[in-house]
Amino acid sequence: MGRKKKKQMKPWCWYCNRDFDDEKILIQHQKAKHFKCHICHKKLYTGPGLAIHCMQVHKETIDSVPNAIPGRTDIELEIYGMEGIPEKDMQERRRTLEQKSQESQKKKSNNQDDSDDDDDDDEAGPSVQHVAAVQPQAGYVAPMTQPGMPPVAGVPGMPPAGYQGMPPMMPGVPPMMHGMPPAMPGMPPAMMQMGGMMPPMMPGMPGIPPGIPPHMAPRPGMPHIAPTPAAGPIPSRPAAPVVQPAVTKPLFPSAAQAQQNPSVAAASNSLSTAASSEPPKATFPAYTQPSVSSSTSSSSNPSSSTVAKPPATVTSKPATLTTTSATSKLIHPDEDISLEEMKAQLPRYQRLIPRAGQAHAAAAPPVAAGIMPPQQGLPPQQPGMRHPMHGQYGAPPQGMPGYMPGGMPPYGQGPPMVPPYQGGPPMGMRPPVMSPAGRY
Amino acid sequence: MSLFGAASGFGTGGTGVFGSTTTDSHNPMKDVEVTSPPDDSISCMAFSPPTMPGNFLIAGSWANDVRCWEVQDNGQTVPKAQQMHTGPVLGVCWSDDGSKVFTASCDKTAKMWDLNSNQAMQIAQHDGPIKSIHWIKAPNYSCVMTGSWDKTLKFWDTRSPNPMMSLQMPERCYCADVVYPMAVVATAERGLIVYQLENQPSEFRRIDSPLKHQHRCVAIFKDKQNKPTGFALGSIEGRVAIHYINPPNPAKDNFTFKCHRSNGTNTTTPQDIYAVNAISFHPVHGTLATVGSDGRFSFWDKDARTKLKTSEQLDQPITACCFNHNGNIFAYASSYDWSKGHEYYNPQKKNYIFLRNAAEELKPRNKK
Repeated sequence: MGRKKKKQMKPWCWYCNRDFDDEKILIQHQKAKHFKCHICHKKLYTGPGLAIHCMQVHKETIDSVPNAIPGRTDIELEIYGMEGIPEKDMQERRRTLEQKSQESQKKKSNNQDDSDDDDDDDEAGPSVQHVAAVQPQAGYVAPMTQPGMPPVAGVPGMPPAGYQGMPPMMPGVPPMMHGMPPAMPGMPPAMMQMGGMMPPMMPGMPGIPPGIPPHMAPRPGMPHIAPTPAAGPIPSRPAAPVVQPAVTKPLFPSAAQAQQNPSVAAASNSLSTAASSEPPKATFPAYTQPSVSSSTSSSSNPSSSTVAKPPATVTSKPATLTTTSATSKLIHPDEDISLEEMKAQLPRYQRLIPRAGQAHAAAAPPVAAGIMPPQQGLPPQQPGMRHPMHGQYGAPPQGMPGYMPGGMPPYGQGPPMVPPYQGGPPMGMRPPVMSPAGRY
Repeated sequence: MSLFGAASGFGTGGTGVFGSTTTDSHNPMKDVEVTSPPDDSISCMAFSPPTMPGNFLIAGSWANDVRCWEVQDNGQTVPKAQQMHTGPVLGVCWSDDGSKVFTASCDKTAKMWDLNSNQAMQIAQHDGPIKSIHWIKAPNYSCVMTGSWDKTLKFWDTRSPNPMMSLQMPERCYCADVVYPMAVVATAERGLIVYQLENQPSEFRRIDSPLKHQHRCVAIFKDKQNKPTGFALGSIEGRVAIHYINPPNPAKDNFTFKCHRSNGTNTTTPQDIYAVNAISFHPVHGTLATVGSDGRFSFWDKDARTKLKTSEQLDQPITACCFNHNGNIFAYASSYDWSKGHEYYNPQKKNYIFLRNAAEELKPRNKK
């Protein structure tokens, strides 16, 4: 971890518990997700600022912060980046982080002996932590992959609620743990503790809850063990039921961006990077996440239905725009070739390889006017006529289209590219028309 | 987009019109309309280089023609000359001295148009339509680079019928940009190749596309020392990626942003996502402009990562854009780009090129 003075942890968003590498990114996130006016999309700086804006400009009241997790939606709290976060929540967060590492140790020690509650004190020891460092990794991933997440959400009203703040942490934790032991001596204790907490919580949710409070209790006492300044001020954790089933939502969609398979391992990596806003794919000037996910997950799938065609998903490339819940639609024909290639397929544009005769045809249009009657019997020639534009500098090409319908379905790809000069009569007309083409 | 608009009688006479006063949505930004616009979709535009006095605009269109206007300081546009190909023109560029214009067409040829003599001669031949054309001026050589749907990138000395060099690409060239000594080509199947042009052109690196959809347009940007350092890549999915070639921290420096989409968040209707048709960088400020199938243009500051402005919606997609050499004029073309398929093509619909004063609106925003 870089700087020491980071509130002892990476910047995180109070509204949605997401982690970020950098406070600057955190602020950008907040402005885009939580302080953005849903009416005019103006980005404000704080919750109260947003509320005032909506009232003054749109005459609308807003009572909760957009995209915030339940319990963190207070619009009146003035939070900017990491400033303004209530101390209570800061401590809860620190505790959560510690507990995560503690849990990893806990899990191991639990595996050996159930009466570990009192052994928490020992967990601070580096040796235990190191050991904990190894196991928790697997411990985390497992619970994460399980639908264990929802159950966590399902156990509200208790400290686990606080844990739910952890899921977002968790993915970040394993990677951190790797680096911890060898790295900063201060942090590891806290991390280990965090790890220790998780496993017991995840697997046996129903059974755990009752068990957790006991864990919780000792925790407050523990902090002192974690000599790190981080653990310093950790009074009893408030049992605020911060149920966050939604926590998983912002995480995974962005994770979905990075990959398609739902494996947590991959997810955790993407999640931890998501915090730093997945570089190549992150959309910066913060446009809504949901759209990001739907369109990016669809991004691996090519264009989708267009206005012109039914939502058929015929595409040469990958699937179609998932647009679950029809959140977005690509205005582009289905085929995965460029618009120019599509347009160029029209017989109208298939002049190519100029031949002396064909060049005439290009300028035929004006002549066509005169030949109208005879043309009736020469539909094939239409293609040749079809270049009204060519050579007509300003002359109303609109004249041409008039012939089309008569000759053939407008640009229906049907009519093959027949050499324009099928008939004799028109030919005779052509040469004179040539001149315009030559004149610049 | 299908509105023809009632005011079909707006003047296309020789005099420049200072923004038509009609209120139909063909020119909601009330910008200056270029007189005698092409009769079919405009595919590419380019302003004359600083080596020439005045501003001359070149536009290639699907009507097989390339037109040249002089843009006077008072905003008037005077049609000057025109050349023809035998197929739609897909790319245009100027030589560095402003005396020649190079044009690339679906007729598989590229031509060099000498403006002084008003003569055009063929200088390149491909096996498929040529999509991009750029003039390269290196200390030890000069040539024209053409990218084609025949999957080759060829370099031509204009005096010889055979290419100086031909490089094979993995797929059809969809767009390219050149700022010596760097060239970037984006191909079909999301291919992305960077070339270095010193001594002689060679492939420098193939890059994994930062975008997940078909590439549509690319533009190179320069750093503070005026050296090309990266590019902006646009896709059909309303997204632009800013990519640096050798950034200190790729994870942080490279990013993508969404653009040219309808609706905002929290609406029940699905969001329409439009293709980004062209990207241009302001030659002085380094800020960029994007134009899309939604009929809007937007200005962005990639360093501050913010949007500077989005225009009102035109009734047709905007297919091309460019800045003049000093960044005072922003030109954008309104014509149908096929984004809604064949059904929405209306050959009767007029195509426009608008000019806008770009001196103020593209100033970079100070970073917060």
